[in-house]
Amino acid sequence: MSTKSPLVNWIGLWTIVRREWSRLMRVPIQAFLAPWISALLFIFIFGFVVGSRISHIGGHRYLEFVLPGILMMNIVNAAFLQSSSQVYFSRFLRYVEEALVAPLSYAEMIAGVIAVVIARSVITALGILAIAAVFGATSIDGVAEFVFWIVSVAMVFGLLGIVIGLWANNFEQLTILNIFFITPLSFVGGVFNTLSMLPPWLRWLAYANPFFYFINGIRHAMIGFSEAPQALGIAVALVLAAGMSIVVWRLYAIGYGLRE
Amino acid sequence: MTPALSISHLRKVYRRGTVGIEDLSLEVAPGDFFGFLGPNGAGKTTAIHCITGIANPTAGRIEVFGVDAVGHYRDARRLIGLSPQEFNVDSFANARDIVDWMGGYFGMTAAQRRLRVDMLLEKFDLVSHDRKRFRELSGGLKRRVMLARAMINDPALLILDEPTAGVDVELRRDLWRYLQELNADGKTIFLTSHYLEEVERLCRNIAIIAGGRIVRQGPTEEFVREPGGLEAAYLRATALEAHRVSAPAQ
Repeated sequence: MSTKSPLVNWIGLWTIVRREWSRLMRVPIQAFLAPWISALLFIFIFGFVVGSRISHIGGHRYLEFVLPGILMMNIVNAAFLQSSSQVYFSRFLRYVEEALVAPLSYAEMIAGVIAVVIARSVITALGILAIAAVFGATSIDGVAEFVFWIVSVAMVFGLLGIVIGLWANNFEQLTILNIFFITPLSFVGGVFNTLSMLPPWLRWLAYANPFFYFINGIRHAMIGFSEAPQALGIAVALVLAAGMSIVVWRLYAIGYGLRE
Repeated sequence: MTPALSISHLRKVYRRGTVGIEDLSLEVAPGDFFGFLGPNGAGKTTAIHCITGIANPTAGRIEVFGVDAVGHYRDARRLIGLSPQEFNVDSFANARDIVDWMGGYFGMTAAQRRLRVDMLLEKFDLVSHDRKRFRELSGGLKRRVMLARAMINDPALLILDEPTAGVDVELRRDLWRYLQELNADGKTIFLTSHYLEEVERLCRNIAIIAGGRIVRQGPTEEFVREPGGLEAAYLRATALEAHRVSAPAQ
């Protein structure tokens, strides 16, 4: 074997992916079935039962209006839970040391985590789209835009999950961000309502909430309905993804939570 | 000749201020079988963690066959195999996967891994246990998996941190024989152990660490020839350090 490392250790990177995938496949109900059942309940109750009593929004049925938000909430959850648990458990059981003693760069380690995050998010999204199709609510206006939102949001929350996975020292800390930040902000980010339904004094909160841009972006990709400039939403997603990438790379480089 | 391992003024201070290694310098020649001894908490595992990238050195320089283990860590890692003191594995994974994944991390192709994993599982008598989850294996079998994993990349420098702790006499003797074969084939072996009989039998050179610094270093024969043999020499060296630390400054 050569002692000089290749520019990119592709096999090492792929090993991180297939290894984590094998771990994920030990809990398929938790990883995939749970968000699909949760989405099914949201679609049925809010979209189908409640929605049938709500007038059209921007020419769309209420079910079609809420579906992108439900989809986005589940992508955010899937991405965050995947990376935070992957990193946390590898630290908790100490098998992160296997990667640390191997010729893997920090970028490869991070890319391996994010690749699984994106795969899990995409599968979660496809399942929800299939469920929504049963209710006749699946439509995608712009495929490229739709893919952009799934991948970029999965990246942002996958990277955020890595930070929490590195920081957490117990299971409670692992869930803190989800309880106090992700779930509340996603609910007030326009999953179930338009901006015009909010009292004026509360609208500033929506504009300051990145979830609003993510939900608005995927809603535009799916049904063409938008309440904010698309370029602004895309810029928010890209800046957050780039910023989080730099933060995570730096944490790996200094060994935060990884090395003694 | 470039040393297999060169450590110069290594210092490690943990985040909470605990000094793991005070000032450590040593060299291991290529092809050597090197024993690294010391009492619990002396800094053996900390030094190994600094060499292998599990810990960040605070100061000093570490080179593996002339490659800077911090600045060019990826190149340095390719030369090292580590069998750690504690089981640092996904305990729900099976033995075959644990060894195979490590090969993947080292960039080995599927074909290379298959051959190497089969050979190592056979060598360590793990073939009939290869699909069992790690947590279901006995202590001795777990230790064998750690060794097979350490050997997957055919490392030039094999670092073994108490590899025979908790294993039965048969495996210990099998392992000694295997390590001697490896060493005869030119592999450099860096061994920590609390079994002085093991060190005396296997190692050509010894360094004793106490209080985070090397207190004595030399050929094994030199220690063995002293009155009371290696054990007495070891106790004298570590007791001197304990006395130095506890004595009031003059």
